Amino acid sequence: MFQRLLIANRGEIAMRVNRAAHELGIETVAIYSEADRASLHVRDADRAFCVGPGPVARSYLNIPNIISAALISGADAIHPGYGFLAENARFAEICADHGLTFVGPAPETIASMGDKATAKAIMAAAKVPTTPGTDILDSVTDALVAANRLGYPVMLKATAGGGGKGMREVRTPGELEHAFATAQAEAEANFKDGRLYMEKLIERPRHVEVQVIGDRFGNVVHVGERDCSVQKPSHQKLVEEAPAPRLDAKTRARLHDVALSAARAVKYGSAGTLEFLVSGDDVYFMEMNTRIQVEHPVTEMLYGVDLVKEQIRVAAGEKLSFEQERLVPHGHAIECRINAEEASNHFAPAAGTLTDVALPGGFGVRVDSHAYAGLAIPPFYDSLLAKIVTHGASRIEAIDRMDAALGDTWIAGVNTTVGICRTIMRDDAFRHGGVGIDFLPSLMTAAATPT
Amino acid sequence: MRSAAQFCASAGLTRFRIDEEELAIDVRRSPRPVSTATAVAGDDALGSAHSSNGAATAAERPSTVLKAEFVGIVRLSRPTVAEGTVLGEDRELAYVESLGIRNPVRSGGPGRISAVYVNDGEPVGYGQPLFAIEA
Repeated sequence: MFQRLLIANRGEIAMRVNRAAHELGIETVAIYSEADRASLHVRDADRAFCVGPGPVARSYLNIPNIISAALISGADAIHPGYGFLAENARFAEICADHGLTFVGPAPETIASMGDKATAKAIMAAAKVPTTPGTDILDSVTDALVAANRLGYPVMLKATAGGGGKGMREVRTPGELEHAFATAQAEAEANFKDGRLYMEKLIERPRHVEVQVIGDRFGNVVHVGERDCSVQKPSHQKLVEEAPAPRLDAKTRARLHDVALSAARAVKYGSAGTLEFLVSGDDVYFMEMNTRIQVEHPVTEMLYGVDLVKEQIRVAAGEKLSFEQERLVPHGHAIECRINAEEASNHFAPAAGTLTDVALPGGFGVRVDSHAYAGLAIPPFYDSLLAKIVTHGASRIEAIDRMDAALGDTWIAGVNTTVGICRTIMRDDAFRHGGVGIDFLPSLMTAAATPT
Repeated sequence: MRSAAQFCASAGLTRFRIDEEELAIDVRRSPRPVSTATAVAGDDALGSAHSSNGAATAAERPSTVLKAEFVGIVRLSRPTVAEGTVLGEDRELAYVESLGIRNPVRSGGPGRISAVYVNDGEPVGYGQPLFAIEA
């Protein structure tokens, strides 16, 4: 097992990893930016190094300073959390070059899954169903031909994309030229890679993903699925739950099987997630995230396993501590992301200082958060403040427990998503279960339209 | 505040600083304010304990704090400087060794070392104060 782990992240996930490491008897080293000097993740770690000023490019993405901090503190491994360097294959290679274990899959796996077109080709070869689509499109003319073949509506996507950037929905041939130009420019600006491909647009799908975890000995298990269909118009997730409600047993089993064969196809040796679009009985592979995800607590609550500890164990070369048969879901779990955002204003990030913070607790309630009264929210990072997770014997119990927990949540000083999450918990369609990714955008439109 | 100010006066301090998160209280009794020394204020908890010691002497002249720009191990260059060392010209005071690269820390001109905040071989983080120099 590792002796000392550097955690190359901030906020709640840095604290989550810190706790897991301490439970395993591993000393921790935090990194922080000048803007995060007063953060809880800095206090919780055994040691901490400032690695740069507030902007991410100079701190949380500052590879030389992060590697140097790991080396001078005697760390033997680096946990990247999610975001930042978590899916940066070059960083994983640099870690290895300096004798540091990167807590994640092999660099080649990160690289191939990080390139959407490559990932799709690998999955198609492994007989994983993928959305009908194209390779890289060289021109608008190519795009027009491809769209005619696939049939409208189609989706243009950046091969280096993520977070909804460089994506355009195209419903008619007339829209294609403009969409192609703007998506290309956006991809170029955000990822320095303007290459686009096209997929058939699956109308009103559900977003269902499967958690997998493997070790270096070829053992891989799935830890069930999560339904993440409640997404902001920007395709960012807001509410996640497990198991996926109103999913027939056959489709569920198929998702699990497909995810396992996909993970085996890339010899996956860490924690990861395969994201699928589900439309009726059809499932389509979207992408594989080669990291621990924000919403991993939903799965932990449902299966009673600690995914972060297990991820660290397998990175240290240990065998998976559980077998597929031992993984049995109990009840239902839901997560709400409490972000510093103004929901009624297109979820615009809210800046400011938290003047008062009271977070919920009690039976079946878990809160992962770095928020405290007095915390100033720097403008440089994502807006997540807390993840509230509830577990219940049934889905409705978990929802009602979440509604009550949100009622106990008091965060003053900035706008948060507490209110919109509560609205969702009380919404008839959500309570019925099985909503598609159009659910939240429609709900927001309805709320904004005067009756 | 008042009792803190009275304490400063009775203790003969020119400066008393509380710096916690957003709250920063900075009290001085010197008739002439310290010019660039305020650049240190609120910057680093590691440096603050030392800088308050040096403040009484530093108060009369502008001083500059040299900070680490890299995470690494600080190595004091020879001849090593100490508090009170007078430099006739620009010279290397130390270097921060980071991933095998020596990143020099230079005085930037003549002056008098008013504080040395680090020991040879000490690990330093980004922005950590290394030396204070009076012009």
